[in-house]
Amino acid sequence: MAVKNLSAVLHAKLDLRLENRDVPAIGEEDVLIRMGPVGICGSDIKYWTHGYCSGVFVLRAPMVLGHEGAGTVVQTGSKVGNLKVGDRVAIEPGVPCLRCRICREGRYNLCPRMQFCATPPVHGNLTRLFKHPAAFCHRLPESVDLEHGALVEPLAVAIHACNRGGVKAGSLVLVCGAGPVGLLCMWVAKCAGALGVVVTDIDDQRLAFAKEKGADYVINVRGVEEPIAAQQIISAAGCSPDVTIECSGSDYSMTLGIHATHPGGSVVQVGRGTQIPSIPLTLAATKEVDIKGVFRYANCYPTAISLISSGQLPGLKSLISHHFPLAETEMAFKTALSRDAGAIKIIIECDQ
Amino acid sequence: MTDTNLTAVLFQQNDLRMEDWPIPAPGPGQVLLEMQRVGICGSDVHFWTKGRVGDYVVKEPMALGHEASAVVSKLGQGVTSLNVGDRVAIEPGVPCRRCNHCKTGRYNLCRKVRFCATPPDHGNLGRYYVHDADFCFKLPDHVSFEEGALLEPLSVAVYATNRGNVKLGDTVLICGAGPIGLVCLLTAKAKGASQVCVTDLNASRLEMAKNLGAEFTVLVRREAPGVTAQAVEGALGDKADIAIECSGAPSSVNTAILSTQTAGVVVLVGVGHEKVEIPLLDAALREVDIRGVFRYANCYPTALAMVASGQVDVKPLVTHRFRLEDSLQAFEAARRGDGIKVMISCDRKA
Repeated sequence: MAVKNLSAVLHAKLDLRLENRDVPAIGEEDVLIRMGPVGICGSDIKYWTHGYCSGVFVLRAPMVLGHEGAGTVVQTGSKVGNLKVGDRVAIEPGVPCLRCRICREGRYNLCPRMQFCATPPVHGNLTRLFKHPAAFCHRLPESVDLEHGALVEPLAVAIHACNRGGVKAGSLVLVCGAGPVGLLCMWVAKCAGALGVVVTDIDDQRLAFAKEKGADYVINVRGVEEPIAAQQIISAAGCSPDVTIECSGSDYSMTLGIHATHPGGSVVQVGRGTQIPSIPLTLAATKEVDIKGVFRYANCYPTAISLISSGQLPGLKSLISHHFPLAETEMAFKTALSRDAGAIKIIIECDQ
Repeated sequence: MTDTNLTAVLFQQNDLRMEDWPIPAPGPGQVLLEMQRVGICGSDVHFWTKGRVGDYVVKEPMALGHEASAVVSKLGQGVTSLNVGDRVAIEPGVPCRRCNHCKTGRYNLCRKVRFCATPPDHGNLGRYYVHDADFCFKLPDHVSFEEGALLEPLSVAVYATNRGNVKLGDTVLICGAGPIGLVCLLTAKAKGASQVCVTDLNASRLEMAKNLGAEFTVLVRREAPGVTAQAVEGALGDKADIAIECSGAPSSVNTAILSTQTAGVVVLVGVGHEKVEIPLLDAALREVDIRGVFRYANCYPTALAMVASGQVDVKPLVTHRFRLEDSLQAFEAARRGDGIKVMISCDRKA
């Protein structure tokens, strides 16, 4: 009897279907994974509601969603040496070519031939059985469960952002946006030795959660002009931030970061704002506040896993607010979108 | 008018006058300098024609000039690094030396920096001027006073190329072929850039860029930035590793970003409008960093070494020369955009 490979497939904007697909055949360097928990990301929601993401990635054919996944290896290709059947892995969704100049220089996240789960046209891992190159499956130590494994992906985003910003011991960090990415950046910044983290948002509930989870200062910036909000941040913290990590996707926060950040510092743009925002570029330039975008991550999965296994992120699972079985993927997405649900990170269990 | 210390003084917007000031006395750690050559910078012209640059406003009479060389005339108490008679280049910005910016080496960002000809600090376009000795750099005999004065814009270029991490083998786009674009070109080549492409609106400026070593030039014809970017990419064969934007024009900033390779850097040297619309999302998705510069730090020694060793020849940049007494004419020439660098001689001729 053929194994059914139930998968959550996006056919078009707002047309998400549960379908049985073929079980993929693995190549000699691949592993077959029985998927466990898969988290939902803002980009997944964007494809579902709009059919495109970040202005450049457009859905043109049915595509399996999901890229924040973990699971158990059930089959290994003949050349696979780093994994065996039974290993639990966090799946790094982006597979670069490994042969171009940018891959060789280590910034493989920027590979022009990147194949990334659930970025059209590459299928994601909201599915029962998923095939992936073993080199991009990271074994989880015994102490790290699969749910933590699913959180490794957004954690990698936060690690890359903090690296790009140069967050180090003694840094004061401003995080704009208290969603999952902002919270993760806050925790990673502290792990990196930041002396304090200020978190801004326009939602009191999210700010309260951030404060509970370790923010040193939280400020609601709804309706506050950027230069004034910057002053509030500097007054609260006692000095200006060395690094701003923008995680809200708002042009407002980019401007806020430029105003608030110490001369010589950086504003790291994780969130996706408008294509051509109007920002005080001359102010940034004359303050030598560097503007650095972030595109996914590279070489961050090992760090993420070791941060979890060493116990440095005890609050990580508190990000998970909802669980749904694979068959209820559409409900999961609706919950993610609904402001009332108070969702932070929603997990879909692909083996249920 | 007597000429004890004839000085070019900006009283307010459009009011530049020659005045005779007293000869200042060097304090502890300072030297009295007999000025030799002073170059005119775009910012000097801007202060003259607009009375301000950004938030720096001329509120009181201020001596102009900050790109200068001189001869040490008198030593203040405690000065051991220089002797009377030494020929020096003057680094115009003296920071506080004690704040965190200073202590971490980024003294250009010191909030208490005193910078020649930025209000309220006086410049050095006069017969005499006093400066902190540790910001005066002794010139070897074979380096001329003109070259000494050119170390200032050259330091801007050293700093900008440092910020962009221009190194051996890199391809570089330089937007703007004015004096700053040209020193950035010379510096990029000295640092081993394999190919440099220069853009400008003006064909004769591009001619000069070609003469100074640019492999490619692109004449900008007020088209969409993306069109210029395509021309740059066509010339270099690919997008540039680093772009150094020296014009301040918003369209040029856009061209710079669109022309830069993934994971590359755009350095903003030119100062333009307060708010500039740029394709930030495109830059973010490709991790193209955007780094501004504010003057420079720790670059004078490098600039001097480059000139002294012959790695860089800045002499062709001086196209117009005037005497101190004719400073107003010199400024008129600079305002008209005549040539490249206007140089003023401050020494007394017999």
